[in-house]
Amino acid sequence: MKRFLLLLRSIRRTQGEGPESERTSGERRVMTDGGTSEKRSTFQRWLDSDIVQSAPFWLPPFLLMGFFVYAAIGWNFLLSLTEYSGFGDPDYSNLGLQNYWAMLDDPGMWAATRNTFVLLVGFTVVCLIVGLLLALLLDREIRFSRSFRTIYLLPFALSFIVTAQFWRWMYNVNNGIINQFIGVFGLGPYSWLGSPKLVLGAVIFALVWQFSGYTMIIYLAALRSIPNDQYEAARADGASTVRMYWRVIIPQLRPAMVSATVTLVLFALKAFDFLYATFDGYRPRRGADILATKMVRESFGRSEWAYGSSIALMLFVLSLGVITPYLYNQYKRGNL
Amino acid sequence: MAETQLDDVRKVFTETDGNEIVAVNDVSIDIEDGEFLVLVGPSGCGKSTTLRMIAGLETISDGDIRLDDRVINDVPAKDRDIAMVFQSYALYPHMTVRENMAFGLEESTDLSDDEIAARVEETAEMMGIDPLLDRKPEELSGGQQQRVALGRAIVREPAVFLMDEPLSNLDAKLRAQMRTELQQLQEQLETTTVYVTHDQTEAMTMGDRIAILNDGELQQVGTPLECYHEPANVFVADFIGEPAMNFFDVTRRDADGDGAVLVNETLEYTVSADISTAIGDRDDLVLGVRPEDISIERSEGDQRRADGHTVPASVTVVEPTGDENIVYLDLGADRSERIIATIDGMSQVEAGDRVVVHVPEDAVHVFDGETNEALHNRRVESNEPRVPNV
Amino acid sequence: MSEKSVTTEEAAEQTAMKRVTDGITLGRVGLYATLIGLVGFYLLPIESGLVTSIKTPTGLDNTFPFLPPLDAGWITFEKWQVAFDYLAPGMVNSMLFTIPSTILCAILGSMAAYGLTLVDWRGQIAVLALFIAGIFVPYQAVIVPLFQFWSQYMQLGARLSFLWGLPLLEPHYATILELIITHTAYGIPIVTLLFRSQYKTMSNEMIEAARLDGASVWRVYRRIVLPLSIPMFAVVFIFQFTQIWNEFLFSLTIIGSTNDPAASATLILSGLGQSLEGTDYPLRMAGAFITALPTLLVYVLFADKFAEGVQT
Repeated sequence: MKRFLLLLRSIRRTQGEGPESERTSGERRVMTDGGTSEKRSTFQRWLDSDIVQSAPFWLPPFLLMGFFVYAAIGWNFLLSLTEYSGFGDPDYSNLGLQNYWAMLDDPGMWAATRNTFVLLVGFTVVCLIVGLLLALLLDREIRFSRSFRTIYLLPFALSFIVTAQFWRWMYNVNNGIINQFIGVFGLGPYSWLGSPKLVLGAVIFALVWQFSGYTMIIYLAALRSIPNDQYEAARADGASTVRMYWRVIIPQLRPAMVSATVTLVLFALKAFDFLYATFDGYRPRRGADILATKMVRESFGRSEWAYGSSIALMLFVLSLGVITPYLYNQYKRGNL
Repeated sequence: MAETQLDDVRKVFTETDGNEIVAVNDVSIDIEDGEFLVLVGPSGCGKSTTLRMIAGLETISDGDIRLDDRVINDVPAKDRDIAMVFQSYALYPHMTVRENMAFGLEESTDLSDDEIAARVEETAEMMGIDPLLDRKPEELSGGQQQRVALGRAIVREPAVFLMDEPLSNLDAKLRAQMRTELQQLQEQLETTTVYVTHDQTEAMTMGDRIAILNDGELQQVGTPLECYHEPANVFVADFIGEPAMNFFDVTRRDADGDGAVLVNETLEYTVSADISTAIGDRDDLVLGVRPEDISIERSEGDQRRADGHTVPASVTVVEPTGDENIVYLDLGADRSERIIATIDGMSQVEAGDRVVVHVPEDAVHVFDGETNEALHNRRVESNEPRVPNV
Repeated sequence: MSEKSVTTEEAAEQTAMKRVTDGITLGRVGLYATLIGLVGFYLLPIESGLVTSIKTPTGLDNTFPFLPPLDAGWITFEKWQVAFDYLAPGMVNSMLFTIPSTILCAILGSMAAYGLTLVDWRGQIAVLALFIAGIFVPYQAVIVPLFQFWSQYMQLGARLSFLWGLPLLEPHYATILELIITHTAYGIPIVTLLFRSQYKTMSNEMIEAARLDGASVWRVYRRIVLPLSIPMFAVVFIFQFTQIWNEFLFSLTIIGSTNDPAASATLILSGLGQSLEGTDYPLRMAGAFITALPTLLVYVLFADKFAEGVQT
């Protein structure tokens, strides 16, 4: 949050910069330019400066995005301080932290937070591992390697609403493929999406199916950028394939892993579509409720707008906790 | 065509952590109309920044740049009537050669399409690139791209040409050829040209005058021969000439009459009255002599000539280049000083030879050891200028 | 690698080499088996959905879910017909907001990236950081104000009521317009980043050459940068089209109801085939395929461009 405010402040500084630099250059002109023929007004020069010249390009998109993203977050914060619920307009005259206190007393909140973190850790770690294995498998001379890549990435191109339909069918208690498969080994059948113990694992499995192709693509791009000499040098050093990957190649995938992790964690935080479609609405089975679903349910299901906003703000703060170090790190490395 | 003046031009970069770096420090140069000026110096000396300030690609922190007495500090690059040739050529990859050349005329003039087409054809013909007009840059060789980049600048008939190391991406042979061609072209067009390079060969052979920069400071502006024979300071003396001038840190000792002796642990060099006068009472000095001014004589044992201009030495390495030999020698009994001499390619010297090195007095330079400024430069016979050895 | 060593090795070592070569071949077989097994894993849910969508209830009971209907009498395309009737208006609506916002996103994102990358001014990193952070902001954090903004403050339907009398215009287009603006605004950050990743690699000297050639900031964009970003536009179109088409939370909150005339394809699909007797799986599967069809088509045709968009 502090970082965010700093950013905002630096923006304001930037915007104030135009007239300021104009003034200093004006002073300089008085000092050095003793009556030469070219007289350009300070206004004219200000118009020619790069910040003004470039403004028509970035300012309109910035204002549109800024309004919908940053103004909306500010507004959301304001709403979370009101008692706004039901129909009608929010009352902004009486602001307080009551919604945040209410969160502490809400057992559903604790359950949702716990589930969010389980989903976040389980989903992210499994996705990173599966994606890495896929990438290592494909990063060699293979016929049809592009076709394999295209197939593995295919689920990622589909809507969660679509994939949720497929997985409901896969997890179906009576004749779902999963139960039929484990039935071969004399197990089950289990109610994958009905049992509070199993449901979160089942959701994570389905999401890994959908996202591992994404992690694979990120790793593959990083693997492709490693020069061939390094493989050859490692081989010339007599390293076995496994050791070569472990000692030489995988350490170089760190930046790719970091950026994939950020994306996966942020997705896990806001995963809503899949759960909504899997459980036909705002109410996931007990054991699968996460902050994102609870937030939408409180606001749009129960019209507890203010309470929903306060959960939304929690989500935002959690995301900031991931984004800020990431962006700062990227800035430090000059990747921005 | 225009006269260009740099008047105490200064460029300060502010780093993100607030540190200020002076890239160009109060540089003043008057570039005459039609002149070919070469800005030369080691990398990071501020030569490119200076060029980019003339182009309008960098703001000027202080001072003025004038084009025909008009201050152009605040004129945007696009309105300066300046054309620039970049090291990477910076051709527009999606346009054909014809479109590349026409672009500047379309953007900066009101010429009709026909007039533009005619001018492009004419310039392309002059540059010998007319067969390439309908190709894209990626289909051209490096040398052809270089020509197109030049053509693109020439077709605009700008007041000033700026060139930022335009030949450095070419191979050695092509570079030598383009050097000559570029010079002829500039003489023919009579357009003021500022040419940046780190290569002193280019500087010496191409420029009407050269301006030598180091650490953002202008060291000397002068014709190539002036800079070669009358370097303003140790930096210029060292930078211009290949192999570089030999330097010895010496102190002064009074001698008989008006002369003096410059001494260090291995060297005792007698100088006559006019050099002694130039030195004055300074004590911390640098003696300089160019490798080609040194002659080597075979010696028997350790003998010195009576004039005090010789010193015994032993040859360590001989690098034959064909027309001449570059000889590396260790001076004195303890071999603590090293000296380089270039001698005739036919003379027979081998590593290990004991020789006597002769340094003629009219070829020596003396610099102030503290300020590095030149106190005395070699004598130049005005009617017969020596061809510099670069 | 192995072939090369075979040719260079001595004949005496042939036996040893052969084992190595065999080992590698065996490894290759294992590799391909794994890759094909994974193809099965990734395609099974989709394949199973496809065969289920054309099964009659009898077929559903009598075949494994992943096998096609084995008896011709178990095949029916009725569910596809029903699903299509439900989804057709949603498909039209989704197209109506997806295509304009994709185009707007691409144009605005390219402009923003140009202004923030190729024109150098102080403070642009801070503005850029705000753009990039915008990619990661969870939509939940803005969804309540967004809903408030459109439903309470803007009320485009009422404001633009004078338009609905015109031919070809209908009141629910107000909601479509809201979706276009919303999707454009939230799509700008990622698109800006995509374009920036390309613009950063563009030669600075080339831009400077164009400015010295007399081109203004606008003309440099129009004549140099824009023509050179056509490949990136293709990537952005494909990636952003897929993203917006697949989106659900905005549809759910801004449109609100499955029965709304502006309902999008994903919104209708989420409520398809629900009844008290249980879920009609064949209908749902057919619906899922119809909804996914445009994205599937785009993906199959331009998989490489999609992957390029994902990588950045």
